[in-house]
Formats: sequence, structure tokens, C-alpha cells
Amino acid sequence: MSGGKPEVLAEEALRYATVGAWRVVVLNDPVNLMSYVVLVFRKVLGFDEATARRKMLEVHEQGRSVVWSGLREKAEAYAFTLQEWHLSAVVEPDEAH
Amino acid sequence: MKRIEVKLAVPVVAPLLDVIRALGETPSVAAPGVTVPPDADADLRGAWIGELAAAETTEVRALLALFDEVFFREGIVAFDAENAAVILRACSVLRLRLRESYLRAWGDDALESGDVEAGPFEPGGQKAMGCFLFLATVQELILQHLGDSILAN
Repeated sequence: MSGGKPEVLAEEALRYATVGAWRVVVLNDPVNLMSYVVLVFRKVLGFDEATARRKMLEVHEQGRSVVWSGLREKAEAYAFTLQEWHLSAVVEPDEAH
Repeated sequence: MKRIEVKLAVPVVAPLLDVIRALGETPSVAAPGVTVPPDADADLRGAWIGELAAAETTEVRALLALFDEVFFREGIVAFDAENAAVILRACSVLRLRLRESYLRAWGDDALESGDVEAGPFEPGGQKAMGCFLFLATVQELILQHLGDSILAN
């Protein structure tokens, strides 16, 4: 991804290195329709149809899917919005970083 | 603006509205799926849960508002680009609360597959299951006909 102002990207990179990365994980539930989850992923996370469907199937088949990672504040914002749409979304440290 | 009107059987749907009203009264506990981030302080925790509860109340009220005098006279409810998202979310949270309150005995596999024609009913469970399936049908209608509008708004 690209397109941000250089100074903003540099600031984010510094914070990323300082505080570490967090990720947003969506957990499976037996209630929400698959087509609903696909729509929410497209609406909230900006996924295209194919990515949204692949992530939905990960949630369905594996019980969870990492849908975003990055700075904690943004991770919390995404998790909150996903919960507004009544998906089970949690924020957790990204151990890979 | 795209709009769909759905003709429903009032004698079938009216009893389900009682279940929705009971579930939709001011939520006393966070909806299923609400999880506050780790190490959140009291302010963030309170705001997180409070805002989601307020949104849930708004959503359920919007859904119940569809079932007005026109509905009871003509059996018709209408969905459009303005109300589609909020109704979709109302259906979602009500289905989650139905599972929590009435449908545990069915098991998650049955709820997920939709294979719920026969099974153990708790008290009130039959009406709750009817409500669970009705709300899913509403969601499917909205997703099919107004999904693009929701994405565009």
C-alpha cells in the first residue's frame, strides 16, 4: 500500500518499531450468515469480494482469521467497528513483530 | 433510491415481535462478541461497552419501527439504502441474543447449518427459533437486494 505523506508514514514506522504491532482477529460464531460476514469485511476493511470471501472461509473453517495488523490505535478502531457490526473481533499483540 | 417492499403474514410475524421487544429492551449486559482490548483502562472499557450498547438499542428500535400501523394493516415492510445497514445489524445482534437466551440446546452446528427443523426446545424456544429464522430471512433479503447500496454508502 502507498499514497500517504512521507512524514506521516515515517512517523507511523517509528511508532510501529517502538510499540510493536497489534492484530485484529475475527472469531467464528455460529450465528452470523456467511454472506453477512463477507459484506462486513468489504464494508469495514475495504476488502475486495475475493479477499473478503477467503477471509470469511478462514473464520468459518479455522475458527479465526487475522484481518488486519498494525498500530494498536487503528487495530482497536477496526475491532470496535467490527463489533458494531456484531462480529467477534479481538485485538491481540502480533507476535511476529 | 432502491427500495424493496416485503409482504409478510401478520399473524405469523406479530408474535415474533414480542420476542424481539423483550430482547431489545435496554441491554443490561454487553452483547455476545463484545470484547474490550487487553489492558483497557476503566474509561475505555466504559466507553467501548456503552457505545456498543447504545448502538444496539438504536438498531433494535429501527427494526421495531418497521412494524408500524401500515404493517399491521397491510403486512408490508420496506427496506431501502437508508435503513438497510441498521436493520442488518439489528438482525445480527438479535440473533446472537436469541442464541444466548433460548437456543443453546440446539448446538452450534445446527444453528450454523440452518438444519433446525427438529430439536430440543427450551421454554419459549419454538417462538425464539421462528424469530431466529425470520431475522435471517430479513438479512438475506437485504444482502441480496441492497448489499451494493450498503457498500456504496
